[in-house]
Amino acid sequence: MEHFLLEKNRLNEFLSALRNYEVFAPVRKVGLTVFELITNPKEAMLDLKNQPQSPKRVIFPQSEILLVFDKNNAAKEPKGRVGQKPQVVFGVRPCDARGFHMLDPVFEREYPDPYYLQKRQSTLLVGFHCSEPYPNCFCTSVGGNPSSPEGLDILLTDLGEQYFLEVITSKGEQVAKEGAAVLSSPTSQQQTEKEKLSGMAPQKIRRTIDTEGIASKIEKHFDHSLWRELSGKCISCGICTYTCPTCHCFDIQDERVRGRANRLRIWDSCMFPEYTLHASGHNPRPTRTERLKNRMYHKFKQNIDLYGVPGCVGCGRCITLCPENVDLVANLKVIKNL
Amino acid sequence: MSSIHNPYLPEIGTVIKIIDETPNIKSFQVVLNNPEKMKNFTFEPGQVGQLSLFGVGESTFVINSPPTRMDYLQFSVMKAGEVTSALHELAEGDQIGVRAPLGNWFPYAQMKGKQILFIGGGIGLAPLRTLILFMLDQRADYGDITIIYGARTPNDLCYKDELKEWEERSDVNMILTVDNEFPGWDKRVGLVPNVLKEVAPSPENTVAITCGPPIMIKFTLQALSELKFKDDQIITTLEKRMKCGIGICGRCNIGTMYVCKDGPVFSLTQLNELPAEL
Repeated sequence: MEHFLLEKNRLNEFLSALRNYEVFAPVRKVGLTVFELITNPKEAMLDLKNQPQSPKRVIFPQSEILLVFDKNNAAKEPKGRVGQKPQVVFGVRPCDARGFHMLDPVFEREYPDPYYLQKRQSTLLVGFHCSEPYPNCFCTSVGGNPSSPEGLDILLTDLGEQYFLEVITSKGEQVAKEGAAVLSSPTSQQQTEKEKLSGMAPQKIRRTIDTEGIASKIEKHFDHSLWRELSGKCISCGICTYTCPTCHCFDIQDERVRGRANRLRIWDSCMFPEYTLHASGHNPRPTRTERLKNRMYHKFKQNIDLYGVPGCVGCGRCITLCPENVDLVANLKVIKNL
Repeated sequence: MSSIHNPYLPEIGTVIKIIDETPNIKSFQVVLNNPEKMKNFTFEPGQVGQLSLFGVGESTFVINSPPTRMDYLQFSVMKAGEVTSALHELAEGDQIGVRAPLGNWFPYAQMKGKQILFIGGGIGLAPLRTLILFMLDQRADYGDITIIYGARTPNDLCYKDELKEWEERSDVNMILTVDNEFPGWDKRVGLVPNVLKEVAPSPENTVAITCGPPIMIKFTLQALSELKFKDDQIITTLEKRMKCGIGICGRCNIGTMYVCKDGPVFSLTQLNELPAEL
């Protein structure tokens, strides 16, 4: 596919040119950087730090109306995205782009989920190559790469004053066409510089874990007393699941609003006791030990059995953001050495 | 919203009859409002459905009327949480949402010609009822049918009219028990797994199908093993907290299996390969 050069000081012009798209980008909000719909390119925060929230929410929102009920008890789908503009998510990290690849089979395999799939199909991902990975990044241990275009439609590499822009898919080509007025051709020197950065990035990943054999260890040692130790610090706050680009569990709840009612789906967390609590009071995962074990089982055993890959992209958010320093990589190493 | 079938969208049905089974269990007979959809509705014994009340929520129940009797779909509901409490407030004629059928079913084809042993506790008779009626409607296909059923007190036994009918049938061996002595109760007293051991049915060419509270299932499986039933002769149907019913929302997994989609029916052979998180 084609390569272009985008001057950094013309990025706002490039974003403005995407008139046929709704553009989501990281914005600063109550002290956090989150992916939101932007109306003015100046809102975008593109001095990218790895955002505490992945862009998962653009396609799988934290809260989403599934059905609306009228007074006659008829259930209807809310007006979907039909007829609306396609979406561009700008500033996606390669790990988060892979995160969508992990979510896709969940939502499209046996019972295609129209809410997810419709947004997924009309959304483009424009990503940034991670030339400076973060301390807890471990994407290279779970099949990722900080300079990988996997799952992206366009990949940008920061060359200092310019972005090296690679078109990855035909959807991406369309975006490049819309912004063509501000794009130029890279020199061969810039091409070499980009390749050099791509080659260096994986070596900058500081945390590694050889996941080979972990699935069978988790299964074999499911009843091991060590799980209690691994979960000792966990306070069941759920931050690991809320910030995870591959976590997909949700709750379905009805709400009444002025004589009408909606059925919503809302992110849920396997860290919460209520997640598995029966109405009878029985709970198959009553303590944080079973819950933390289930999360690791899901990511590193169940997901491999179902989809052939770990349900983890190595973004490191669950490690960085855990208030109790529960460390997934360290825990995996303990299991591996059992 | 799109051309893809929406698996979350319920069909609307009408509750045509409500039966008070016990002080906290009611059965609801439901007919889909769309006659074409009702006529074409097919399911297998053991499959479940989601009943929903708009503005309240949705919960999973087994379809406990058999596919051999398609005048209505019956669901039995124990009052336990928010949705079930609201369901108990329904009156005949009220509208209800139905998403069904979901999940797998009893492997009845493999049970033909065998002796059948049903072991149920409390509301756990509901899924067994589907298969019992299904088998009684095709009685010649199956060998001896034994039903061991217990509840806390005689008042907590479900489907009392049918229990009486089954007791009177010469081709059903019906054993009823309650947990403790109760005024006027002249049948067995004792927990279901203990009664099972007293009755001691032979495992010879037999399939045992059990459903009840998790603790009953646990001890029933132990009792069956003591009676020399092999794991592949033991079938159970499980309960989990469920939401989506289609294996996406996550919570009902046992190991790599989702109870809503890959279950609720499992053989003990299958369960033994999964983590013990019942």
